[in-house]
Order: sequence, then C-alpha cells, then structure tokens
Amino acid sequence: MKTLRIIRLIAWRDFWERFATRGFQISSAVIMIIVAALIVVPWYVEGAAPSWTVGVTGEVNPDLQAAIEAAAPEEDTSVEVVTVTDGEVEQAVRDGEVDLVVDDGELITSPGADPTMLATVAAVVGGFRFAEAAEGAGLDAAATAELLAATAIEVTELEPEEGDDGNVGAAFIASILLFMAIVFYGQWILTGVVEEKASRVVEVVLGTVRSHHLLAGKIAGIGALGALQLVVIGITAAVAGTIAGTLDVPSGLGSVAWIVMLWFVLGFAFYATAFAAAGSLVSRIEDAQNAALPLTLLLMIGYFGAAFSIEGDNPVLQVMSLLPPFAPVTMPVRMAAGTATAWEIVLSIALMVVATWLLVRVAGRVYAGGLLQGGRKTKVREAWTSARG
Amino acid sequence: MLELRDLHKRFGDVVALDGCSFSVEPGMLVGFLGPNGAGKTTAMRTIFDLVRPDRGEVTWNGAPIDYETRLGFGYMPEERGLYPRMRIRQQVTYFAALHGMGRADAEAAATRWLTDLGLGDRLESKLEVLSHGNQQRVQLATAMTHDPELLVLDEPFAGLDPIGVEAMAGILSERAAAGTVVVFSSHQLDLVEDLCERVVIIDGGSVVLEGTVSGLRSGSPRRYIDASVASDAEWWLPLPGVVVVAADGEHVRLAVDRNVDVGAAFRLAETAGTVRHFSFEPPNLSEVFREAVSPG
Repeated sequence: MKTLRIIRLIAWRDFWERFATRGFQISSAVIMIIVAALIVVPWYVEGAAPSWTVGVTGEVNPDLQAAIEAAAPEEDTSVEVVTVTDGEVEQAVRDGEVDLVVDDGELITSPGADPTMLATVAAVVGGFRFAEAAEGAGLDAAATAELLAATAIEVTELEPEEGDDGNVGAAFIASILLFMAIVFYGQWILTGVVEEKASRVVEVVLGTVRSHHLLAGKIAGIGALGALQLVVIGITAAVAGTIAGTLDVPSGLGSVAWIVMLWFVLGFAFYATAFAAAGSLVSRIEDAQNAALPLTLLLMIGYFGAAFSIEGDNPVLQVMSLLPPFAPVTMPVRMAAGTATAWEIVLSIALMVVATWLLVRVAGRVYAGGLLQGGRKTKVREAWTSARG
Repeated sequence: MLELRDLHKRFGDVVALDGCSFSVEPGMLVGFLGPNGAGKTTAMRTIFDLVRPDRGEVTWNGAPIDYETRLGFGYMPEERGLYPRMRIRQQVTYFAALHGMGRADAEAAATRWLTDLGLGDRLESKLEVLSHGNQQRVQLATAMTHDPELLVLDEPFAGLDPIGVEAMAGILSERAAAGTVVVFSSHQLDLVEDLCERVVIIDGGSVVLEGTVSGLRSGSPRRYIDASVASDAEWWLPLPGVVVVAADGEHVRLAVDRNVDVGAAFRLAETAGTVRHFSFEPPNLSEVFREAVSPG
C-alpha cells in the first residue's frame, strides 16, 4: 500500500507541475486552435459559393449568365460574363482574368480547371447553339425544347463506400497519432528525468523512495497528462467537425479509437521506460536529445514501415507488427485495416508486454544507476554495474 | 540506534570506505569529521542506499534498513538539490507526504517549518528565485518536516552566514534534545566542538578516532600551555618535548607532553618575568583532529 501511495504522489507531482506551467497551457491551446482550424478553415473555404468568370468572344448573349447560374449544380453560384478581345483569349485565361473563354464552338480554359464548371458551361453553351441551329433548321419552339430536354444528363456521384478504404485511412491517421504521441510525450519523460538529475534533487528523492517508485510515478503522471491532452485534442476535433458539419475523416476512425488507446498505453509504457533510462545517462538537457536519438530512430523506422505499407499488407509490415519496438506504430495499422489475424494480434500484444517487462528490469536498473552517477555522461555499462540490484 | 559496520566501498581504483564502523545512540548530536576525500559523504550515502557498499552493512535498531524504515529518516545531501520551479511550500509538503505524512498534516508542518526558518512570506515563491541561503533553509525543511528519527546532514553549515550558522546549530541541538539521532559532517571544527557531544573522525575510509569531545581532548597525549610572560628569554626550553605552536610578542602557545609538571612549567615562566597569563589545557578539537589525521 505504501508503494502505491508513493507512486501516486510522484505521479501527481509530475502531472500537476507540468499541467500548471504556462508553457503546457499555451502549447495545448495552440494545438487545439490548429486542429480546429485544420477542420473548420477548409470547410469555410469550400463552403463559399463558387463564382465563375466566363469570357466570350464577340457579342454577349444576355441570357447566358442567368442560364449558367440556373444550370450550376451548387446554389448561389455567381456567374459573370465578360467580353474578351479575339486575339487575347489565351492571355486572358493564363492571367486568370477569366476562368474560361467561349469562342464559338470552343471552350478555352487553364489546365486543372474545375470540371463541374466546364461541364456546366459546355452544356449551357451547347444548348444555346443547339437552339440556334434548330431555329435555323425551321423547328418550332416546342419541338426544340423537347429535343433539348433529351440532351440533359443528370450526374450522380456516389458517397464513398464504408469499408476497407475508410479503415486504411483511419489506420494511417492512427499510426501518425501514435508515433507523434509517443515521441512527444516520451520527450517529456526524457526532459523530466534529466532535469531531476541536473538539479540533483534526485539525491533527495532516492534517499527517500526507491528508483522504481520514481520511474513508475513519472511514467504514470506524464502518461496521464499526455492521454488527457490527446483526449482534449480529440474532443476539439470532434466539436469542430460537428460545427463544420463536414467532418472529413475516414469513416472507420471511430472504430479504431480503441485500437489507438490500447497501443498508446502499450507503446508509451515501453518507450517511456527507455526514454527514462536514456535521460538518466546524461546530466544536461543539451545532451538529452542525443541520448534519446536511437529510440526516436526506432520509432521512425516503424512509422515509415507503416506509412510505405499503407497501400496493402506485405511481409515486411507483417513481421514489423510483431516486433515490440515497431509494433506500437505498425500493428494498429494492420488491426484497423483488418489485415491482422487474431493470433498475430495476440502474439504482438504478448510480445509487447513481455518486452516491456524485460525493459523495466534492464532500463530500470540503468535508470537507477545512471541517476546517481556524476559527470557529464554515463555509459550504460557503468550505470548497470553501479545500480543497486 | 544507527550502526555502520565494517563498510568497504571502492570506485574503480579509489578506495572510498575501508572498514568504516561506528554507531550513534538516540538523542545524540554527532559530528562526523574528516579531511576532504576521507569517505564522509560515501558513508552517509550508504545509510540511504544511494551507495551500496561492497562489504559490510548499515543497521537501524539492529536490523538492516529497508525503504519503509528509511521513510522515517531525513537527509540533506552535500550537493543540494530541489525542484527549481516548484513553489517552496508545495515542495516541502510534497517531500513530507512522500515520507508518509497525510496531506493536511504535511502542509501544516511545511508551513510551520518554513515560517520558523524565516520564510513565512515566501511560501508561494518558486525555489529558483530564492537566495542561496534561503534555498538552503528550504533544503533543511525538506529533511526535517516529517519529524525524522534519524537526521543526516552533509555539510549543513557550508555557505551559511553567521546568523544562519547560529540558527542551524540551534535547530540541530533542539532536534537532538527531542530524541532524534542527528549526524552531520562539517569542516568547522570550532562549531562542532561547541555543538556536539560526540565526534567521529574518519580518514582514508576508516574511523581513526571516536568519542565524546571532552574525552577525545583529555585522551590526547598532548597538552597546551598558553602563556604571556614579560621576558625575551625562551623560558620554556627546559620543558621535556616542548614545541612552540605559535608565538606572538609575549604570548606563546606550547605543545607539551600531558604528563609534564605544570607547577615546574609555571615556575620557569615566573622566573623569566612577570606572568600575565598562564593556562594549561588539553588540545582543542582542531588539534585533536590534526593529530588524528595527519600522517605520522
């Protein structure tokens, strides 16, 4: 019971002391604003009504503007029709003065123009030309209207199908989230450990409690703060998405939330222990990043493995998803995409748990030894042998 | 009772402890002395399991010390260290709580201690904005707020001004009088002489002298004569084994054998001239210390 109480006290200190800093609050607010902006701004921009500028050579048909506006699939589309001098058609399009130019039976436009606009304008101009030709051929107005109606084609675009594609997208987002969360909160562990060693407060703390109390409390406290920040960011995204009404995330994301949580806990426990051991070997913040570099590299290998395999399952991804250092960013991808079999999932979680347990024994001892060594840098071997067994 | 028994510790080629043994009774204020590098800090750190000895053991009331026992101890390390950005009341409360006090008790005790130490108006300050002396007071409060049974302080007087030294000395005697075992190391031997009942002197990793201050002084094979005599003559020369320790005008300080005939010495002085001052005393603690640790 004493052990739990001590770990709780340490965890609370690490949680609260970081939470109460202006730096944490400001960075959290900034992240929330960025996340909200990433969701809301595209919606706002896309949400604005399209406005097309149509150039014509020769005389402007007074009905053309109203006809294009009526034909545009999006309501509130505003159309401006302007005259373009014959020899300056290409220049006007290239300069962006107009979106396209109607030159008799020809449409001139810039590369990559909005296909909806092209189709709409082409249909309307075609209709006008058809009516003119029909009139010239002596058809009456009713027959012309009937024939014209027959040329109208309705286009129906299907909603993206729920299923594998959505899940793969969600899995990709999951691996990015996990990679960033583990690296980011791992840095907190790293700097927290180095600060304790640099300020020598660790001598007072370890004169009171055991090193594994300190390690467990620190991981629990910082892990909880990280999880809290992740949840707040998630809620911000959900709220912003609801307000925007167009939450453009893959549909499978909700169902992979639990996979992300599970692998955050597993991955963070593993990497936080390793980051703590790395931090215990140096006495200055400046040296901390170098000490942690191998760990960040391991995670990056896993992350790129997952990113390059996003198109489909492959043997490299399959093997990586079973190996503890890579599993936290690769297995969630396969689980979300539905390509991992049950035994693979069970095996990778089991290996992860065993590896974390082993790492706590090894890195925990390096941590204990490293913390109490003076000097600028400590070798892993020195930390290990000097540790209190 | 704290007991260090036959401690050996080596760091590479350096022998830090070489059969260090001593014990401390409750209610006693013990000065732990020794030249730089003698092994004082290493010995103190073994009590807190910050150094694990290669051989030997440390016991408390006859039993090896586990971490639960250690929660009842207080330690002020030589290399001071606390959380720089934590507010001091919160910080002292935190350490008291780690030692097992309830939250409310810990906070009340932290407030009381910090106020007693003159930091009553700085309770919500961050440690890093305090002066060196005030940080040292917070460090002391951290070691004592949970009312430890054993208090170990490594160089508690280093870096304190005379008022701070007096306050620290007062607190340590008070804790010892209240029944706490107090062990502290220091190089300020005059202070130790005034403050401690017992001293332990360590050199080369083992204890070379141990006992009460008065016992060690009177146990010394030497005595010192301080005399002011109105004479240019070296009147002391006939005394057997005499050494002049210091001379300043009329005044001399002489080291002599403890069995010297004091009466005869006084008569020599009297014969030489008017005696304005004459005293015969055992060595002070600094002299005992130098005799114990100097080679030969």
